Amino acid sequence: MSGNSELAVETLELGRRYGRVTALEGVNLRVTKGSYFVLLGPSGGGKTTLLRLIGGLVRPSAGRVRLHGRDVTDLPANERPTTMVFQSYALFPHMSVARNVGFGLALRRVAKREVRERVDRMLDLVGLTGYQERMPHELSGGQQQRVQLARSLVLDRDVLLLDEPLAALDEKLRKEMCFELKRIQEQVGITFIHVTHNQEEAMTVADRIAIIASGRLIEEGSSREIYEHPARRFTAEFIGETKIFEGTVEAADGARARVDIGIGVIEVGNRDANVRVRDAVSISIRSELLELLAPDETASAAMQSVPATYEKTIYLGLTSSHRVRLPDGAEVGVRRFSGARGTARIEPGAQVRLAWHMEDARLHTS
Amino acid sequence: MLQDYRNPWLYRGMWVYLLLLVGALLLPVFYTIYISFNEHGFGAQIYDFTWDWYRVMLGNTQIIDSLRWTLGLGAATVAIAVPMGLIAAKHYKRTRHKLVLVTLMLAPLFVPADILGSALLVYFKNLNRACNWLADTLGLEWIRTWFELGFGTALVGQVLWTVPYAFIVILITMSRYHAQQTEAARSCGATGWQAFWRVEFPQIRVGVASASAFVFILSFNEYTRTNLLKGGFDTFTTVLISHMFNTGMSEDSYAMAGTVSVISMLVVGGVLVWSLARVERLEREARAAATPLGSA
Repeated sequence: MSGNSELAVETLELGRRYGRVTALEGVNLRVTKGSYFVLLGPSGGGKTTLLRLIGGLVRPSAGRVRLHGRDVTDLPANERPTTMVFQSYALFPHMSVARNVGFGLALRRVAKREVRERVDRMLDLVGLTGYQERMPHELSGGQQQRVQLARSLVLDRDVLLLDEPLAALDEKLRKEMCFELKRIQEQVGITFIHVTHNQEEAMTVADRIAIIASGRLIEEGSSREIYEHPARRFTAEFIGETKIFEGTVEAADGARARVDIGIGVIEVGNRDANVRVRDAVSISIRSELLELLAPDETASAAMQSVPATYEKTIYLGLTSSHRVRLPDGAEVGVRRFSGARGTARIEPGAQVRLAWHMEDARLHTS
Repeated sequence: MLQDYRNPWLYRGMWVYLLLLVGALLLPVFYTIYISFNEHGFGAQIYDFTWDWYRVMLGNTQIIDSLRWTLGLGAATVAIAVPMGLIAAKHYKRTRHKLVLVTLMLAPLFVPADILGSALLVYFKNLNRACNWLADTLGLEWIRTWFELGFGTALVGQVLWTVPYAFIVILITMSRYHAQQTEAARSCGATGWQAFWRVEFPQIRVGVASASAFVFILSFNEYTRTNLLKGGFDTFTTVLISHMFNTGMSEDSYAMAGTVSVISMLVVGGVLVWSLARVERLEREARAAATPLGSA
């Protein structure tokens, strides 16, 4: 059986059950050759299971896996053109760095001299030249992950799977390693599939992102599409800090919909969702696109607004979150750069209007 | 705890207590060894050092034969019980039904030696009868001796008893091993066997070696089950105890008891020293890991 050879990875209705628990169900994923693909989602959502199914570390309960058009569903991990970087504890503690990196080559009975050369080259690529004789316990967390990366890359496999590779690192190191991973992927040009629950990490490295939650593929797109134009309510809620309004459609045409959200009626673009009257819908607006207006301030015609009460400002360093409470009791954060003027001068308890541009709101039916 | 050790006398007292306890437990053993080197034997007023009783022991063909059987039975028990314990420990790490597995594996320990031995004896006698009937009725002569009491039946009895110990000892060592390393090896191209042999085994071999030593000592010193199931041959321990029952403790019996004790203590002590040295090395490595040499 063969499929599209432009795809590095393709899964067809892939599923995995553990007894009565469904870890993954009906996942159809397509990963283009040479791309940096991220599986993003909350913990326990099934993204690691999906990665392990692709890598052959778990057998699927349903569905097929194709790698470069070839059906590999029944092949074990060691016979697939994939290799994997794990979160931690995956270096062999009884082997030096050089032996760890050369492990796969030694299994293939590659000549010792060639092993040494390729190991040196890979350690150079990951910035660990001179670390050949160190033991894993002599390395920091970041260095250990670089060794894992070298051990995988030295095998010249087509697809590199990374299972939360930066989760055990501190914030600063994680950011550095993100750029490092992206640089290496661009340099070696193979397909990377990276699992993470950290959206900043995902945005930094990804060409494309798939949102995985509750054992399902929720949505897939480029980083910008996923962040700025989420099609599904779950994505909008999971990515960034987002206010979700629930409501019922009062009127709709091909361009706009009027939605009753309980505390008012607002208008929202309807081109993508194409809702009809009486449909139950959600409207999402990211916190940095919200604005606070004085009650008597005139908003432009393209702006929507609801009444709110200003409560407080939480300083977060680069940004601050201005907290307001809506008439239905819901709390909403309005994100602004901490240096920005205006909203910080509002007195707690003051009446304001929470406003946004109509085109910044997204309409969701699911 | 640390507070207690600020008092040096309390610390010394602890050591005195431990030495007294171990001394009280081992004194009879050392006394037996001491007597085995006395030319005049047990109860004599004078003590003259001699190797004679060991020479007598080594000149006794029955004892030498029994020593050969003992070593053979011990080696065979190790060869079967340790791999079985290893497989069970590996399965324990993977299964979700851990309690059931542990209960089944440890069950032989809860059956008294004489009950287990006699139950196996009855079992083998019945199987033997069935094999004889099949041989007579169907002419299958080659199965007639399958369950006759002998080395094989004694081996089954010893394996049944020692597997739980091998399982526990290996399992303790295996608890330090992270299964992710096996997955990492597989994703680097290793087969299941290569992942086990090159990655997992080097990290659990101390446990396997300790289990082997432990099982060997258990087999070496075992009497009740072996005596019931051994058939026509004798082990060192069955000869020693039969000597004691039939003729009382003679001087060469002390030499035999001394030999058993010294071999046991050397094997256990050797493994203990090796294990402690390894634990110390692992702790040293863990301390080093806590202060990495370089940053990322």
